[in-house]
Amino acid sequence: MSAERLDPATIEIVRRRLEAIAEEMQAVMLRSAVSPIVREANDASASLFLPDGTVMAQSISLPLLLGCLMPAVARMLRDFPVEGMRPGDVYLMNDPYDGGTHIPDVSLMVPVFAEGRVIALAGTILHHQDLGGLTPGSLPTTSTEIFQEGLRLPPLRLAREGVTDQQILRIIALNTRTPDAFAWDLEAQIAACRVAAARMEELAARHGADGLAAMMQELVRRAEAATRAAIRAIPDGSWTYEDALDNDGIELDREVPIRVRVTVEGDGITFDFTGTSPQVRGPVNAAPAGVMAGCFFALRAVTGPDIPNNGGCARPLRVILPEGSLLNPRMPAPLNARTGTVKLLTNAILGALAQALPDRIPAANSGCSTVMALSGRREDGSAWVVTEVLAGGSGGSAMGPGVHGVSTDVGNTMNLPTEAMESDAPVRVHHWRVRRGSGGAGRHPGGCGIDREYEVLHGPLTLTFRGERHFHAARGGAGGGDGRVAEAWVIRADGGREEVRSKLTTILNTGDRLLMGTAGAGGWGPSA
Amino acid sequence: MEIGIDIGGTFTDAVLRRSDGALRSLKVPSTPDDPARAVGHALERLLGRDAPPGAVRRFLHGTTVATNAILENTAAPTGLITTRGFADVIELGRMTRASNYDLLFGPQTPVNLIPPERRMEVDERIGADGGVVEPLDEAGVAMAARALEAAGVKAVAICFLFAFLDPRHEQRARAIVQETCPGMAVSLSSEVDPAPREYERTCATAFDAALKPVMSDYLGRIETILRGSGVGAPMQVMHSRGGLLGAGAARGKPIRLTLSGPSAAAIGAAAVLRGAGLPDGVSIDVGGTSADVAVIRDGAPALRMDGMIGTFPVRVPTADVLAVAAGGGSIAWIDEAGGLRVGPRSAGAAPGPACYRRGGTRPTVLDASVVLGLVDPARFATGQLALDAEAAAEAIERDIAGPLGLGLREAAIAIHRVINATMAEAVRSVTVARGTDPRELPLVPAGGGGGLHAYAIAEELGQARIVVPAAPGVLAATGLLDAPLEHDAARGFGRVLDVLPEADLRQAIDALVAEARGAMAAEGVAADAAELLVTASASFVGQGHSLDVPLPADAAEPARAIREGFIAAHKAAYGHARQAPVRLVSLRVVCRLRAPEAAMPVVARSDSPRGSRMAVIGGVAQEVAVVPRANLAPGEVLHGPAILEQDDTTLVVPGDWRVTTHPAHLLMERIA
Repeated sequence: MSAERLDPATIEIVRRRLEAIAEEMQAVMLRSAVSPIVREANDASASLFLPDGTVMAQSISLPLLLGCLMPAVARMLRDFPVEGMRPGDVYLMNDPYDGGTHIPDVSLMVPVFAEGRVIALAGTILHHQDLGGLTPGSLPTTSTEIFQEGLRLPPLRLAREGVTDQQILRIIALNTRTPDAFAWDLEAQIAACRVAAARMEELAARHGADGLAAMMQELVRRAEAATRAAIRAIPDGSWTYEDALDNDGIELDREVPIRVRVTVEGDGITFDFTGTSPQVRGPVNAAPAGVMAGCFFALRAVTGPDIPNNGGCARPLRVILPEGSLLNPRMPAPLNARTGTVKLLTNAILGALAQALPDRIPAANSGCSTVMALSGRREDGSAWVVTEVLAGGSGGSAMGPGVHGVSTDVGNTMNLPTEAMESDAPVRVHHWRVRRGSGGAGRHPGGCGIDREYEVLHGPLTLTFRGERHFHAARGGAGGGDGRVAEAWVIRADGGREEVRSKLTTILNTGDRLLMGTAGAGGWGPSA
Repeated sequence: MEIGIDIGGTFTDAVLRRSDGALRSLKVPSTPDDPARAVGHALERLLGRDAPPGAVRRFLHGTTVATNAILENTAAPTGLITTRGFADVIELGRMTRASNYDLLFGPQTPVNLIPPERRMEVDERIGADGGVVEPLDEAGVAMAARALEAAGVKAVAICFLFAFLDPRHEQRARAIVQETCPGMAVSLSSEVDPAPREYERTCATAFDAALKPVMSDYLGRIETILRGSGVGAPMQVMHSRGGLLGAGAARGKPIRLTLSGPSAAAIGAAAVLRGAGLPDGVSIDVGGTSADVAVIRDGAPALRMDGMIGTFPVRVPTADVLAVAAGGGSIAWIDEAGGLRVGPRSAGAAPGPACYRRGGTRPTVLDASVVLGLVDPARFATGQLALDAEAAAEAIERDIAGPLGLGLREAAIAIHRVINATMAEAVRSVTVARGTDPRELPLVPAGGGGGLHAYAIAEELGQARIVVPAAPGVLAATGLLDAPLEHDAARGFGRVLDVLPEADLRQAIDALVAEARGAMAAEGVAADAAELLVTASASFVGQGHSLDVPLPADAAEPARAIREGFIAAHKAAYGHARQAPVRLVSLRVVCRLRAPEAAMPVVARSDSPRGSRMAVIGGVAQEVAVVPRANLAPGEVLHGPAILEQDDTTLVVPGDWRVTTHPAHLLMERIA
């Protein structure tokens, strides 16, 4: 290897370039995508890979998508080895039972060539607006098997040497409620990969395909070494944490436990989810690709965000997901509503690690992202949907009190302003306040949840409510108190009150109200 | 004669331009405890026998005082009066956090500016259609005002839901507060930021109120200094859009004085390019802790509406400047993986780079510049600060060269290569990543460090031209001289265009024009002297982001013009558009009077001697000519390798570049 290749400045410059390329992919994708969930909630992510499927650089996006592309790319490489790839090829897939996350997330991959061979893969994952299934959006809260959730795509070669296989697109077009949006968003994914390919070719021209490959391997090696060093700094040991989802949305009276045992041994770390609930009837099961996002988030948060974000970071991590469990379900369990599950398992990992690192990890975050969707028809008959995601508080910590009403861990989505909601839906919001007193007591109290009240001005409309932490409080840390659980009530125009048991789909009529309070987070340290 | 004084974090920059175009500039240390003091110091040094105060026709001022007051929470104790049920909008914000992977984070919103006990709710409600749902509880407003006054509040922000559609409740509430508590500063959301999204509007309004007492005092102190120096010209202040406001108008909307620093430098760069006959370019202003990158198109920096101060949104129009953590103070370090990193942490001005000998021991970019012979330790910052070359070498040897197994020079070269790449990445991300080819754009280096890194950035990006301002170290101050006098007026709509009759829209535009012209008239500008720009912000229904669409000021059918302009703009920005209902978010009218053209200076050539020293340029150590910039006569061509030195900056010219001297700038071109 020549001296230039191992020159410290060149390696650092190449690392920055790779990250900038991933960011440029992300920007291209967000700029040209049409789905509101992509444009408003950033629900798309871009990465560069080595030809063996090791991730090289990732764009900054929702942590829920961290590493989600890795299993998809690995899976596509099994059916389509790099040796058979040609310039202009495009590959895609979404099957949650074979490397995907949930059906709306389509993974797409393009090979990058230099000096006549594949030197890298450019990949994107994007949450499409609709791929069929029971309800618009392909996220049916009442699905009991994956066949109700939409169209599954195995690894497919969408384009060969620049020629798109129209048959594949025609099958998809017949299976989505929004064929135009799908086409635009897919084009956005391809455009992002093409930009990456052009940039990577320039980089390879400058450093040589071998030189670039050597530097990329070195960056992966360094990330692994740094992550191992950070793990070694955690005392050896084994810690468990247990939490539970309120229910699966179908059987409202049955909680769904999540258990994790975190073991640190030298420079390796294991997250073992043995003891977690078997798979459930409702759609809160999570595909392994989605589970891994939570695992990577927790690992990265405790080993330090300064470490270059590539596949080397994942090598010291072993994750055990019992087959047939909530986190590794068997076909045909439904699995579209994974977010709450991934949030709780992420907090469970952090809760276990907090026993080893009490000063670096806060008490439990509220860990809920309550999804509230209202839908109905306008006077002209056209359909409308308004969705909002409400957070709870963040946990108190050695550093200070928790923050009220803030997205934590794998989520970082914005609220829907009252002025936006009232403009788009026939409702009036009566209040939006800190849910005072809901944070756990402690030397540093937990952050409080949010109180919100809506009134329907013109019914009927459909309410879909997916709550969490109605029955299981976020626990305190280092002797702090638990946060208060969430609650929600439907108050009918005639005064009747119905408690929302964490998940609910119902019709709201004119004058009906929804009152909700999200969960507080755990407090840290005993109260004075 | 005109004077521009710009307060920065470390230095206060001042320039004086005579009517013959001759420019004099200087830097004095900023005085954060009382920033006006530094203005006095600078003024004292600028004025003199050859520059009598009576000859000053314009006095222009840019300041970070407003921004810092928000960052450091030193503005006036402020209260909030808002719609019942919404006291905590300012605390809950948009529910997001700034850093994804930080497990330990504090409040992300300005909770401490207005703590819960200073948030008052009153009964009133405007609906999403602009209609009154519930009348204003006037007695409630008076009670809230009394409670806030009793709590020691000096300023009150009034922010009601949907007030941008009907401001009457807010206006009535202001009258009541002022009746109840005479002398209380009050800001209305319908005036400060008349646009939808209550959190962003509340932030802007709260900051505006909190800044009123502070900025009024501050501007008053400067006016006192001016009077004391015998300067009779009225003061004009730079606002975030990159225009100037009279001090009186500025007192009424101090939020507009935030985020003005980067705009001033970008305006300065645009003026330099114009002087060189170039409408487009990209500027990079390299300071101690960061580099600001701006694209200039058709003689002006692009604008954005979503400014931030720290983690707080400040929705004022501001220059679209990308700030990256790369400057002379950026610290070089080895990460956990054994990789060389430079920045984002900076040694700043205190403790400063190792070569400052002010307590900083970690190696920085400036230390590398000293080791490479690019900066003369004896002449840094006009010789005001002697640098210690040995301390620089020691820090790089210990922290970088040793651990990486490199020689001292190789380590310094590596530090430079990494920081140059960081700066080049920043330029890439405002050009390449937005579909612009940087190779066609000249680079304008500014700040103390721009000239040190410009050639490397240009070579990395394939740029062949660099335009160096006459006084790169004080570009924000010279930008003040070239900025237009400017007032604007805006109104929020948040309505589908189809339901807005053309005649009503036309009337609304006329009212905004009258308002903006009225403000210009108050500054003594005749109605027909100023140009008029009308912009509509619009989106498809259901879209969260809007696009700006320029309109002819006299459009007879403004709704149609907005719809057509929006669909064209959407296609241009995103590659597609559909025939769907378009929502008018807001209308803005800008009234602008360009700065008087400056005369081309006649530059007197100085005879300070040229010399030479060993320096490392492009990785090669060589004996290099050292030329005082003042020594270059207009028209003179200088071939690299050379180092051009002037008061506050150093320009590195590699062997395959040449420099042509112009009266107001240097044109540096790549030969090979």
